[in-house]
Amino acid sequence: MTEDSQRNFRSVYYEKMGFRGVEEKKSLEILLKDDPLDIEKLCTFSQRFPLPSMYRALVWKVLLGILPPHHESHAQVMMYHKDQYCDVLHALKVIRFVGEATPQVEVFLRMCQLESGKLPRSPSFPLEPEDEVFLAIAKASEEMVKDSVDCYWIIRCFVNQLNTKYRDALPQLPKALEQYLNLEDSRLLNHLKSCSAVSKLPYDLWFKRCFAGCLPESSLQRVWDKVVSGSCKILVFVAVEILLTFKLKLMALNSAEKITKFLANIPRDSSDAIVSKAIDLWHKHCGTPVHSA
Amino acid sequence: MAQPANVGELLSMLDSPTLGVRNDVTAVFKENLNSDRGPMLVNTLVDYYLETNSQPVLHILTTLQEPHDKHLLDKINEYVGKAATRLSILLLLGHVVRLQPSWKHKLSQAPLLPSLLKCLKMDTDVVILTTGVLVLITMLPMIPQSGKQHLLDFFDIFGRLSSWCLKKPGHVTEVYLVHLHASVYALFHRLYGMYPCNFVSFLRSHYSMKENLETFEEVVKPMMEHVRIHPELVTGSKDHELDPRRWKKLETHDVVIECAKISLDPAEASYEDGYSVSRQLSTRFPHRPPDVPTSPYVDTQNSYGNATSTPYSASRPTLFSTPGHLAHSLDFQLTRPLPEPPQATLWSPSVVCGMTTPPTSPGNVPPDLSHPYSKVFGTTGGKGTPLGTPATSPPPASICHPDDYMHISLPQVAATPPRKEEKAESTRPCLHRQPHLPNDRGLEELPSTKGPVTLSDLPGFLGDLALEEDSVEKDKEEAAISKELSEITAPEAEPGVPRGGFDSPFYRDGLPGSQRKTHSAASGTHGSSANPEPLHSSLEKFGPDTPKQAFTPIDLPCGRADTSLAGDRDRQTSLETNILTPSPCKMPLRREMDFGGGQPPPYDHLFETALPKTACHFVSKKSEELLKRVRGSPEEDSTPSASPMEVLDRLLQQGADAHSKELSKLSLPSKSVDWTHFGGSPPSDETRTLRDQLLLLHNQLLYERFKRQQHALRNRRLLRKVIRAAALEEHNAAMKDQLKLQEKDIQMWKVSLQKEQARYSQLQEQRDTVVAHLHSQIRQLQHDREEFYNQSQELQTKLEDCRNMIAELRVELKKANNKVCHTELLLSQVSQKLSNSESVQQQMEFLNRQLLVLGEVNELYLEQLQNKHSDTTKEVEMMKAAYRKELEKNRSHVLQQNQRLDTSQKRILELESHLAKKDHLLLEQKKYLEDVKAQARGQLQAAESRYEAQKRVTQVFELEILDLYSRLEKDGLLRKLQEEKAEAAEAAEERLDCCNDGCSDSGEAHSEEGSGHSGETKTPRPGGVRGSDGGRGAGGSGSSGGGSSSELSTPEKPASQRAGPFSRREATMAEPTPGIPTVGSLPSSKSFLGMKARELFRNKSESQCDEDSTTLCGLSESLKTEPGKDSGVEAKASLSLDGPHPSPAGLDSVGQLRIMDYNEAHHEHS
Repeated sequence: MTEDSQRNFRSVYYEKMGFRGVEEKKSLEILLKDDPLDIEKLCTFSQRFPLPSMYRALVWKVLLGILPPHHESHAQVMMYHKDQYCDVLHALKVIRFVGEATPQVEVFLRMCQLESGKLPRSPSFPLEPEDEVFLAIAKASEEMVKDSVDCYWIIRCFVNQLNTKYRDALPQLPKALEQYLNLEDSRLLNHLKSCSAVSKLPYDLWFKRCFAGCLPESSLQRVWDKVVSGSCKILVFVAVEILLTFKLKLMALNSAEKITKFLANIPRDSSDAIVSKAIDLWHKHCGTPVHSA
Repeated sequence: MAQPANVGELLSMLDSPTLGVRNDVTAVFKENLNSDRGPMLVNTLVDYYLETNSQPVLHILTTLQEPHDKHLLDKINEYVGKAATRLSILLLLGHVVRLQPSWKHKLSQAPLLPSLLKCLKMDTDVVILTTGVLVLITMLPMIPQSGKQHLLDFFDIFGRLSSWCLKKPGHVTEVYLVHLHASVYALFHRLYGMYPCNFVSFLRSHYSMKENLETFEEVVKPMMEHVRIHPELVTGSKDHELDPRRWKKLETHDVVIECAKISLDPAEASYEDGYSVSRQLSTRFPHRPPDVPTSPYVDTQNSYGNATSTPYSASRPTLFSTPGHLAHSLDFQLTRPLPEPPQATLWSPSVVCGMTTPPTSPGNVPPDLSHPYSKVFGTTGGKGTPLGTPATSPPPASICHPDDYMHISLPQVAATPPRKEEKAESTRPCLHRQPHLPNDRGLEELPSTKGPVTLSDLPGFLGDLALEEDSVEKDKEEAAISKELSEITAPEAEPGVPRGGFDSPFYRDGLPGSQRKTHSAASGTHGSSANPEPLHSSLEKFGPDTPKQAFTPIDLPCGRADTSLAGDRDRQTSLETNILTPSPCKMPLRREMDFGGGQPPPYDHLFETALPKTACHFVSKKSEELLKRVRGSPEEDSTPSASPMEVLDRLLQQGADAHSKELSKLSLPSKSVDWTHFGGSPPSDETRTLRDQLLLLHNQLLYERFKRQQHALRNRRLLRKVIRAAALEEHNAAMKDQLKLQEKDIQMWKVSLQKEQARYSQLQEQRDTVVAHLHSQIRQLQHDREEFYNQSQELQTKLEDCRNMIAELRVELKKANNKVCHTELLLSQVSQKLSNSESVQQQMEFLNRQLLVLGEVNELYLEQLQNKHSDTTKEVEMMKAAYRKELEKNRSHVLQQNQRLDTSQKRILELESHLAKKDHLLLEQKKYLEDVKAQARGQLQAAESRYEAQKRVTQVFELEILDLYSRLEKDGLLRKLQEEKAEAAEAAEERLDCCNDGCSDSGEAHSEEGSGHSGETKTPRPGGVRGSDGGRGAGGSGSSGGGSSSELSTPEKPASQRAGPFSRREATMAEPTPGIPTVGSLPSSKSFLGMKARELFRNKSESQCDEDSTTLCGLSESLKTEPGKDSGVEAKASLSLDGPHPSPAGLDSVGQLRIMDYNEAHHEHS
């Protein structure tokens, strides 16, 4: 009781000073102490608050189903995963599909392909578009997760989630983008429409790759927190916020090509602010996610 | 509104000689200006003015109203920038500024000011510089606040011009420098007056530099001798004097007067505040006294003295400062009729000129002189003087003036000369007496000591011309003073006359007095000159007056000039000392300026003819003389240097003198020819210089007029103050009267107060007696009252006693009553007891009787009872006892039952709780189970995914292996074909066997692997591979391998599996060498399988052709590729023969065919 009141008393100051992560870390630790981890609660938490980076990998792994909710089986499961990783990697090496020089990202891709049975006959075969997406996401998460086994599994499950859970939702996102942009700044939307740039916005980059390669990893992982925890709508708001942030520049550009070109290479320095604002915007429009049983 | 054509016409009409037309056109222009706000009209007017110098246009321009000021200033600014128009536009600017337009404050913001300053800093033309400086000096008091930004510019200009005065850059004529010096002097006064601290600090910094030191010594230092210490230097600061608040309180004329206050120069100074100029008086005044007693002119002098006591004291210092000049013109004054002093004081240069017509040319006939003069006035009057100096409305105060000053000034006028002198002496004895007397001595001696020097020098240097000039100069000075006096005294004489003149109201007033007559007479003679008068201001009226004045001297014999010359000698010497100060240049036209526009016309003319040569000459000579003097008589340094103005004055007078002399020399009227007589200098140059000089003079004049105007303004203001003071005094007197009345009233009230006091005391006494009487009465009554009081007290004590007695009696009575009551009560009680006891006795008797009866009855019943009921009681008792026992037994039973029930119920509850616990436990167990299940599922999933991955890995491996195989076999086949080709058809059966063995062996291994695969993956490849294997050997051998693979059972499998990799490895190793021997060396060749295969192969080779034909018909590929399909051997041979590199597709297809064959063949055999 005393501890709780103390925390509340401090949290007022934390809120005022703008550190939002202090309080969350403790509550997340409490959540992680449950023995069978409550996935729902973790989902809600991840949607509401930014994850502390020290727990991010763990939470992602749990949310993506890489780790079971039981703590005691974590070690064993991880061992299995590691074995699997080593086996697959070994196999690839044996068949000389990958070598020492192969970039880690491509190794991941090959492994995933192997596991899904889609491994092409030769490494020199041209890559499919979905492989490109995989590579982009892998590159981003390689930065975020240090352990390669974890990284591989996170990439695999993340892509898997995109391809299964969000398969129906992703194509709807451009429409949603248009709708929210209209609510936020109809002038910009009109400008984009007049340039006929709406259809040419980098949707692939934004939605299929979940901004991998578009935003720096430090901000990207905050977006992915939300995506991993089950909301792909955040992608729309990040896109809207990007458009709003660079509104002046976009208004100055008149052709769809220029706009597309500009958006494909947005400056990285403002990404953190963009993501913060996007999350706020998301909360504003979709409401703060409440724990739903 | 203003069409260009119309404007042109109208402009030309402006200069039409008809007065009416002019006025109309001017009105039209003004209307246009009122309605039109554009700059065009103003620009046109300015251009036109610059072209023609038209006076009406100037008039219009100078009276421009607010919206046009900007255009005008812009235009002026534009022209200032151009060198050609600079002078004329500066003149125009001067005209405009001098009139103090309502928008003068805008001058400070206008771009004109900086460009004017720039022009002053850059220009090298003395005429422009002088004009510009004068304009600047005129402007400065109007825009004192703006000085802040431009202060340094002003100072720079001052520094530059003052150095000019000394260094004379270029070919500047000395005469110009005189003017320049005068204007610089004025600038010095203005700057020192307005910004003393800044200016002094500038001087300090500027002249501390070595290169400027000379300038300071020569030019600035003399100037500084003419100023006193500015109070601001003590009290003020640099910032304070730039503070706008300081200037806000001061109007333009205030500023001018402020500047004049600090001047010690008699020509410049003003002593309004009455601080003494003792030093000046002591130095300057001494020149006069010797003359005073000797000359009959005392009257006029003293009349000046009287005038000094009036508020117009501003003019006073000049009177005292110039006595020296006055004195020598005594003779001239003498000629005037004494009864008319005002008239005598009126002065004009022409008068002087006429007076001093040199004795050397006595032949000059007065008519000749008078003629050119009148002519000059007719022509120059319109041109030289500013047109339409608008008559600013005469202040209403002017009407009051007479009232105020009548009692002061009239007595003076009326007073006789001796009385005036007394007055003069009495008014300022303390001021002058002290310095006077010693100086009188010294200065009286001075002329005598210096007299010889000057007398000897002067003729040598100047000749009679210079002397004449001197005398003229002095005359002028004299005349100027007298004229001013007349200006001052005239209004005193005729105060009631309304004034229209703006420049000097008094002047006008002065005219009518005694001069009217002469003026009228003059106008009669000079009708032509009188005509333009209405157009001009009152100033110009003076013009015609001067020639009229000139008549009187002209009538007089010229010989008087000689006497004046002779008499003036000594006075000149003293003058020269003044002139020959370190700054020999010039003296501004201070005094002349005060005379306003009246003078220029005569000067215009005079100076053209007279000045240039003489002035240069004079100045140079004087400077030489000065140097000598400075060396010769150092004591003279102590005497203050003459102010530049005086120098200029003198220059002018000399000029006038020279002119008059020239005039006398000339054989008129052709003047142009006369130039050559004058020293033989080229006339064109002379004319130009003269013209410039004229211009400069005019500028000076205008500037001085402006200053006078300011003085006039101030005078009016002061008058107003005096009136107010008088009114206040009146008011004071009235108040005093009232005060007296009040005092009387107070006295009266005091008397009545005393009366009232007496009455009051009387009444007081009466009251006292009455009061005493009443007091005695009161005392008696009190005494009575006390007696009564005592009596009443006695009675009261008695009453108390009685009451006490009554109370006692009452108590006794009560006691008695109580006793009676008690006894009565007792009595009643006793009687009641008695009756009670009686009734009890009766009852007792009755009861006793009853008791007896009942006893008898009882005895009787007892007898009956004893006889009857002895047996029944026992039985009943027994039954009762039995019953009781039974009851008790039952009761205990019930109790037992109850207890049992309770226990069982408890047990049930217990069991139920147990059950619930169990259920809960079960649930928990289930949950736990679920949990564990989930956990297990998670692990299982991971394991499964691992397994999946493992499976995938295996698949990939297999794929890879198969791939490798296919490649290997392809290579092997090719090689074998080559070998077969080499060995040709006679290859032995042994060889075939071996080959078959190897083939079958490898085929087995492959088939087993293939079967392993075929279970999961139904790829066609293994078959193909197998086919190719089969195809490698002869057709028959393949069939045997195929048969064995399907037929053979498990015991073979492990061996073959184990052998598989080996064989493959061997095959790969054997690749380079011919493959068949190695294949044949395999141990399996001797096995049962191998034999069986061989048999099969033989059978097959015979039967094959028939079956082939049937099965192969569906396979078009093989048909096409292989024409010879009857036998595998044939096919092989043909293939190997056909080409060294048969297509793998063909081989594959052949292999496939073989496999099918094998299978079928195998079925047949089995």
